[in-house]
Amino acid sequence: MPPAGIWIDGLVQSSTYITMAFGMVLVFSILGILNWTHGQYYMLGAVIVYYGVTAAGVPFPISMLVTGLIIAGLGMLVKKVIIDRVSGDLYVGAVTLALIFFFEGLASMLFGMQDKGLANVMPGSMDFGSFSVSYQKIAVVGFTLVVMIAMYIVLNRTKVGLSIRAAAQEPRAASLYGVRVDRVSLIVMGIGCALAAWAGCIMGPVYSINPFIGRIPMIFSLLAIVIGGLGSLSGAIIGGLILGFLNSVMAYYISYYSEVVLFALVIILLLVRPQGLFGAALK
Amino acid sequence: MAFLELDDLTKLFGKLAAVEDVSFKVEQGEVLGIVGPNGSGKTTLINLISGYYKPTRGTISFMGKKISGLRPDEIAKLGVVRTFQSNVLYEKTTLVQSMLMSSRLQYKTSDIESFMETKKYKDEHEGVVGNALQTLQLLDLFNETFRPASVLSHGYQRMLGIALALAANPKVLLLDEPTTGMNYEEAQFVVENIKRINEQGITVLLIEHNMKVLLNVATRVVVLSFGNKIADGNPHEMMNKPEVIEAYLGTETV
Amino acid sequence: MNVWLNRFRTFDWRNTWPKVVAAVPVIIFLLIPVFTQGEIVLNMLILSGIWAVAAMGFTLILRTGQFSLGQAAFMAIGGYTSAIISVVLGWPWWFAFLLSGIVSGIVAMLIGSVVLRVGGIYFSIITLSLTEVIRIIAQQWEPVTHGSRGLITTPPPNIDLGPLHINFMANSVPFYYLTLILVAVTGLVFWQIGKTRMGGTFYAMLANQTLAEHEGIHLMKYRVIAFTLAGVFAGFAGAIYANYLTVISPLIFGLWQSIQIMMMSIVGGMSSLVAGPIIGSTLLYVLGIQLARLPIYGIAQLLYGAVVVLVLIFLPKGTGLIDLWPRIWRKIYREVEEYEIPGETRQED
Repeated sequence: MPPAGIWIDGLVQSSTYITMAFGMVLVFSILGILNWTHGQYYMLGAVIVYYGVTAAGVPFPISMLVTGLIIAGLGMLVKKVIIDRVSGDLYVGAVTLALIFFFEGLASMLFGMQDKGLANVMPGSMDFGSFSVSYQKIAVVGFTLVVMIAMYIVLNRTKVGLSIRAAAQEPRAASLYGVRVDRVSLIVMGIGCALAAWAGCIMGPVYSINPFIGRIPMIFSLLAIVIGGLGSLSGAIIGGLILGFLNSVMAYYISYYSEVVLFALVIILLLVRPQGLFGAALK
Repeated sequence: MAFLELDDLTKLFGKLAAVEDVSFKVEQGEVLGIVGPNGSGKTTLINLISGYYKPTRGTISFMGKKISGLRPDEIAKLGVVRTFQSNVLYEKTTLVQSMLMSSRLQYKTSDIESFMETKKYKDEHEGVVGNALQTLQLLDLFNETFRPASVLSHGYQRMLGIALALAANPKVLLLDEPTTGMNYEEAQFVVENIKRINEQGITVLLIEHNMKVLLNVATRVVVLSFGNKIADGNPHEMMNKPEVIEAYLGTETV
Repeated sequence: MNVWLNRFRTFDWRNTWPKVVAAVPVIIFLLIPVFTQGEIVLNMLILSGIWAVAAMGFTLILRTGQFSLGQAAFMAIGGYTSAIISVVLGWPWWFAFLLSGIVSGIVAMLIGSVVLRVGGIYFSIITLSLTEVIRIIAQQWEPVTHGSRGLITTPPPNIDLGPLHINFMANSVPFYYLTLILVAVTGLVFWQIGKTRMGGTFYAMLANQTLAEHEGIHLMKYRVIAFTLAGVFAGFAGAIYANYLTVISPLIFGLWQSIQIMMMSIVGGMSSLVAGPIIGSTLLYVLGIQLARLPIYGIAQLLYGAVVVLVLIFLPKGTGLIDLWPRIWRKIYREVEEYEIPGETRQED
């Protein structure tokens, strides 16, 4: 039995993947594309919140909120200016992959190659007798819970959410009933990018920040939505949990080979059940 | 031994039976019409025969060989080739290229021989090109030979669908509503061509919504309703059978 | 009838002219070491050639309708095979080189025959996972691969051909010709595939999978063929890469290399199996090298990404650089070509 710290790390990892995966699932189900740049929005979120807190001196929660809005705007801009002008899944995929280089280059220019940290944002830890958990990690898990509840409310109780679900299920029928699918997809792109940015913000104090931190969360949240089933939000939660815990617990026993096992598991899963563990069907 | 034989064929989607216990035989050289109102399982039947769906129960055999459960390409290789109800084509390629892409089954040379461009392959290729152009000519598509399929009109696209199926060297041709969306003259032209194809010795299984077309061309008719076979026989007799009229028009109007 | 048939004869003056034009760059490339033996130029050309081989493989797989992010993995397999066999086992270099392509091809065939039945985005994710698995194994299997420190390769032995002494250590010229031979062989094989029946089969699978299958094309068989061929040549390319750099480490064959290969193929244009990937990889590789000289950290990546995005936006719908060629050709000829190259047709809109 691994110590409690491993399980908590697993929970923290799962939380990040879930928040990221939500954005990817939303974008995938509306736009029908995988946004490969998702990890870079995560990274930009962390970078911007770093400057917000250290350079501008804005309190962490406020700079986090503003960062989310900035990245949402950036995502919508990318959608309007770039993605909409490229047609065909293949070319959209290529464009979002090329944007990875663009954003990483941008962040490198601003940020430099040194690792930086935000460790002093939420110091201290909570004591649970035999082990203690830092407030930062609690904040990560708490924030993910908030995101999950908020997403549930937005998608089920608001008009925007209803149009998003309608557009995801039947784009043509939805547009006949007066849902403006192009606007919905813009909003969804904004929400997805904001979620990625917030995941980056909240993880900023936990790990160090550099221009390349977006790559691994992107791959893992991609695996999470594949495990859960592409296009399903509840699948993303379960996929994220499985992946986070499996990764941290297996790493305790077999270190780096845990990733090999994870990838192998994903490959086998895709061969046996391409629709994912819980996805009934696409969309 | 029948040429093409369907035996107790059933396809369930969930609990809904799209086709239920349908059995009939197709003799070599005939034009068999399959009719029925919308949703009676006609297209499902073609999807089953061509291997696009796997049957839930029952078997399909062709020339004594069981073909249910085989992949579509294996079934096509045996000589059962279909067309699609919607215009499923290679949209961006020119007609002649589409035809050559569909003519794979006419070649006897292996891929290695084609890669080496042996004399045998080149001769064969020239023959195949000739066949492709002849088929295009037969179906009145010759003037469009070097245009992409996507710019053709709907009627020509339907004809191209038939041409592509013919390129695959069929023994049995499964036509899925070849005259949808056509006006009377165009439909007449299709009927003439089906007759000509049939004269070349190709057995035709024709799904049709339009009774008039069927009366013109079919030698025998199978009537489907809600996935069940309700009648089988001469097309002119069929028109007078009460259960067929009922299936088509509903009980209350009779 | 004969007039129509003429267009499909193998010898046709219309088809011959482009070949003559294509021969010009080939001759130029053959003669480059005569004019310059500068390491910078040769280095650039060798590495462009290596990536071009991988990009050609990507395009071939793409022709069967599959989007592979695993090309770098097969380069890694080839590179490590050649390095392990010649360094760790101490077998002859050329034998190791030959095995690198064969092993990579066999691995591609085995993996492909299991994995290729999954299509679309799932195949991309599987190949992505595969690339990462290979990279992590290369990093962790210390006793054999020396982990992230990398494995130092043995140089190819000198060759004495009478008056000709080929020394791979003296300068880059022998490696340049080795790469050129690999590019030429890959190019010829793929060109021939594109020209003959198999090319039509692949294109049919890309254009309409359902229809292709119903017309007797065994999808899995041709997908495995394409994947295996791509694997073989990527393996050779990886072996040359590892030996040219003199060291192979997990860092040089990762997901990011796979992504670059994909971008090279798409920017160059996937309507051509040979010229598109070669143009794309040469331009993008040279661009990357030139940008890397800029003094500001990060600007190279930024501009590289920007250039690829701009190319994808401003080239007409879904075409690469190579698709500009027929347009120029038509302008020269002042004539509308009636038969078309697959993928080249624009709808009349």
